[in-house]
Amino acid sequence: MANSLPSLAIPGQRLGPAGDFSAGPGTHVHHSHIYASIAGPVFVDPTQQNATEKSIISVSRTQRIKSASTSAFVPSTLPTTALKSKPKYNTLPAVDSVVLARVTRVQKRQAAVSILVVLDEPSSTLGLNPSQPASDNDNIDSILSSAANPENHSSSDELRFQALIRKEDVRAVEKDRVVLDEMFRVGDIVRGTVISLGDQSFYYITTARNDLGVVMARSEAGNMMFPVSWKEMRDPVTGAAEQRKVARPF
Amino acid sequence: MTDRRRINGPSGGTRPPVFASSIKSTTTATERPQRQRQPNELRKIFLKTGLIPSASGSSYLEFEHSASLSAARALPKSLIPPSSSLKLACTVHGPKPLPRSATFSPNLVLTTHVKYAPFAARKRKGHIRDASERDLGVHLETALRGVIVAERWPKSGLDITITILEAEDDRWWGDAPDSHDAAWGMMNVLAGCITAASAAIADARIDCLDLVAGGVAAVVVDESVDGGEPSTPRLMLDTDPAEHRSLLSACVVAYMPARDEITELWLKGDNSKASVGTDDKSLSYETLIDGAVDAARGAHSVLAEAVRESAERLAGLETGYST
Amino acid sequence: MASTATAPAPQPIPPSLSLPPSQFARLQPHAYLLAHLSPPASSQQPSIRANGRSPSQFRVTSANTGSLTHTNGSAVVRLGDTTAVCGVKAEILHTEDIASWSVSHSSSSSFASNKRRKLTNPTAKLGEDRTDSGDNESHIEDFSLLVPNLSLSTGCAPGLIPGAPPSALAQSMSHQILSLLHTSRLVRAEDLQIWYERPNFGPEEPEHHNESEQMDVDVEQEGSDEASIQTGEIKAFWVLYIDIMIISLAGNPFDAAWTAVLAALRDTKLPRAWWDVDNETVVCSDIVSEARKLSLWGLPIASSFGVFEADAAAGWRSVTIQDAEEERKLAEGDRKGIQRRWVLADPDGYEEGLSQERVCLVVDKPQGGDGKVFIVKMEKNGGFAVDRKELKELVDISTRRWEDINQILKQC
Repeated sequence: MANSLPSLAIPGQRLGPAGDFSAGPGTHVHHSHIYASIAGPVFVDPTQQNATEKSIISVSRTQRIKSASTSAFVPSTLPTTALKSKPKYNTLPAVDSVVLARVTRVQKRQAAVSILVVLDEPSSTLGLNPSQPASDNDNIDSILSSAANPENHSSSDELRFQALIRKEDVRAVEKDRVVLDEMFRVGDIVRGTVISLGDQSFYYITTARNDLGVVMARSEAGNMMFPVSWKEMRDPVTGAAEQRKVARPF
Repeated sequence: MTDRRRINGPSGGTRPPVFASSIKSTTTATERPQRQRQPNELRKIFLKTGLIPSASGSSYLEFEHSASLSAARALPKSLIPPSSSLKLACTVHGPKPLPRSATFSPNLVLTTHVKYAPFAARKRKGHIRDASERDLGVHLETALRGVIVAERWPKSGLDITITILEAEDDRWWGDAPDSHDAAWGMMNVLAGCITAASAAIADARIDCLDLVAGGVAAVVVDESVDGGEPSTPRLMLDTDPAEHRSLLSACVVAYMPARDEITELWLKGDNSKASVGTDDKSLSYETLIDGAVDAARGAHSVLAEAVRESAERLAGLETGYST
Repeated sequence: MASTATAPAPQPIPPSLSLPPSQFARLQPHAYLLAHLSPPASSQQPSIRANGRSPSQFRVTSANTGSLTHTNGSAVVRLGDTTAVCGVKAEILHTEDIASWSVSHSSSSSFASNKRRKLTNPTAKLGEDRTDSGDNESHIEDFSLLVPNLSLSTGCAPGLIPGAPPSALAQSMSHQILSLLHTSRLVRAEDLQIWYERPNFGPEEPEHHNESEQMDVDVEQEGSDEASIQTGEIKAFWVLYIDIMIISLAGNPFDAAWTAVLAALRDTKLPRAWWDVDNETVVCSDIVSEARKLSLWGLPIASSFGVFEADAAAGWRSVTIQDAEEERKLAEGDRKGIQRRWVLADPDGYEEGLSQERVCLVVDKPQGGDGKVFIVKMEKNGGFAVDRKELKELVDISTRRWEDINQILKQC
């Protein structure tokens, strides 16, 4: 059955009967058939091969699947188990996705951040494995061509999805003693997970886990700091310590 | 009148050049270009995706030169081009956050924008979008809205921008300005916009039901061979308005072949004249629409090839990187 | 805590994160570029930009002309991933539509007649200094005969809203192109003049008589015999609408736009035009062999540079002028082979966002100028890094760039 599948599909191409497969990301169902909805290599998820469950057909949207474990990846050998990370429905932040975001505003009750990168794997156990493909237009060429042209400086945050970290979502313990000024500063890079899509303008993010929180920060003097504890970072030049909600380094 | 944000020309205004050969109404020094294609033969389309890396998706589309235009370019005699062929660039930006002022939308919000370059047409175009450009944008939006799986992209927006570098003529330049009653060239432009936008959306990996393609058909009247009475109306696909004495009616569709669905239909002109002269049913609205659909099928094959080629390029890139 | 207080060696990347390049590029753009430009000494790698170019290297450039049907001249120029399309459309400005014409007319017509005589001797023309034709050339500026407009509202980059009025960047580039067209005197006014060849009945037309009287009043002592020779009159001008659409923006739009303007003007053909007395209007011939190309003055070519500073906070601190102490440190660093700043030719969008200081040079190397290089325009803003010595090097780089572009334009 799987052999009849094309290795590469374009939108509108019929992939297989909905009776034999279930539709995964990059596909849709029409008149009890599964069709591709994006262009890309076709995958069949083989992990669900027990009799009751149907295999999932999906079309991959990640542009580069290069990870150390999948070095033998060749499209013609599809379907394959090589694809480790799950393909996503889209590249937007979703509930449970891990994001890296820059703090843009710190207020009494909440901190506003601007999402820079949506990481594919919602699971925290893998941490930030560099071999994971990031979803959001993960293409150096396009980053180099588009990043900050002078005019975009002021408006570049408007091109990014905005999120809020509410005071009660900063950490899991001593929630009532959180002072946001001692948790984040404007410019910090924070790792968090999305807890809800929020309202029309903001997503909601939490950092209430050991591996979540500030991952990069500059001191008052402008130097990159290194973490010394779960609530402190230090400037290597001046030696001064600053308070942060620090993500546990690996 | 003066636009403080742009460099304005002379305040008294300027006039487009008038050619001596066009004011001498006695003889036409140059002949109306003749269609060299079969009635159901389409012009070749050049379509390429991904040329603009700062956009999430992009495409460039160009129609093949008509026989008269390529002859005029190979051996230039007159400065007046006999016809022109569509050239346009399309970019897709997004999905991106909706503006602050926007209300919550569970779906992808589509914005389309079509603009002619000032030098795109025989007559210089202004910098500010005019009504016909806005109209094109609206037609394009309806053509695409039914194709995109919008619910997969909550609270985000997608901007589609098309810049037309060279437009199609509305009529032959030698005809009096009012001899054709409508902006027929615009329909070809719309068909090109639909096909190019479809390619750019696929390049941006936005979920679509199908690759939607645009096509045009028209009922035309030509001079008969002996130069006497005009010929009987005939149905032609992918018409170049400059090549015909007059267009009675024309139709442009946005068509999804996988589902046999039309997402946008725009029919213009008067078919009654055609049916009076000939009482055969071959020139009814249905055949006109079928003709446009056939033209769209032709465009779709080019579109599918371009999208597949770019997907293969990316897949090839993957293997290239991993081994 | 005390044990960790000993500061580890500062690292561009904190140990807590090992990011894939794309995320690193996005999160820490400055450190990302710096890491490329100053690789660890142990790695034996050359200093190279994130885009793989050496600091003085421009992107691959190509030009293509004459592909747009409805223009008098057109060009598509690609500078790496930045693409500019330029179309020139010529329209006619009648002198009767120029409000100030009747005032300036009489004085200018004597110049015009000068020109006419010069035209008969075209060989003498070549060696002539540009400044000679001063007043005549001022027609271009006074009557706005060159109308360049650059548009970024083409979806060429995210964040530039299509349909919005031109952004500050687009407006500033339009004006830079206009002023460069004026100061370089690229287009000759006489190419844009449309004449009425008066049938030579003699000088006794009353209107004409007035004219010569007026001229006598003027300081010019050319006399009435000059007027009697005069057989022509400027009835109209060509106005060149030069529109530049940036189709793809990936840094350094000015160089791409200016090169496109140059290539399009070189491609521009104006039809033969004359004053038709019967119809009181200007009429053109559509015969290709009668049309003529513009004869442009020289070939001014633009090269832009951005300055990247190793000190990430240089942007914040730029208000303080570097003191001698700091300069000394920098010089010391240079000696030790530690470079702290880089001048990057033809910056891409990413580098543009990271450089505070910009330099734009426009140079020309006229034919028969014994290989001399003229600086047509020099603009430097936003910092203190580039001094005289470096500017001199940049002129050398721009001269090499001139040769490259000259070759590219010759071939298209």
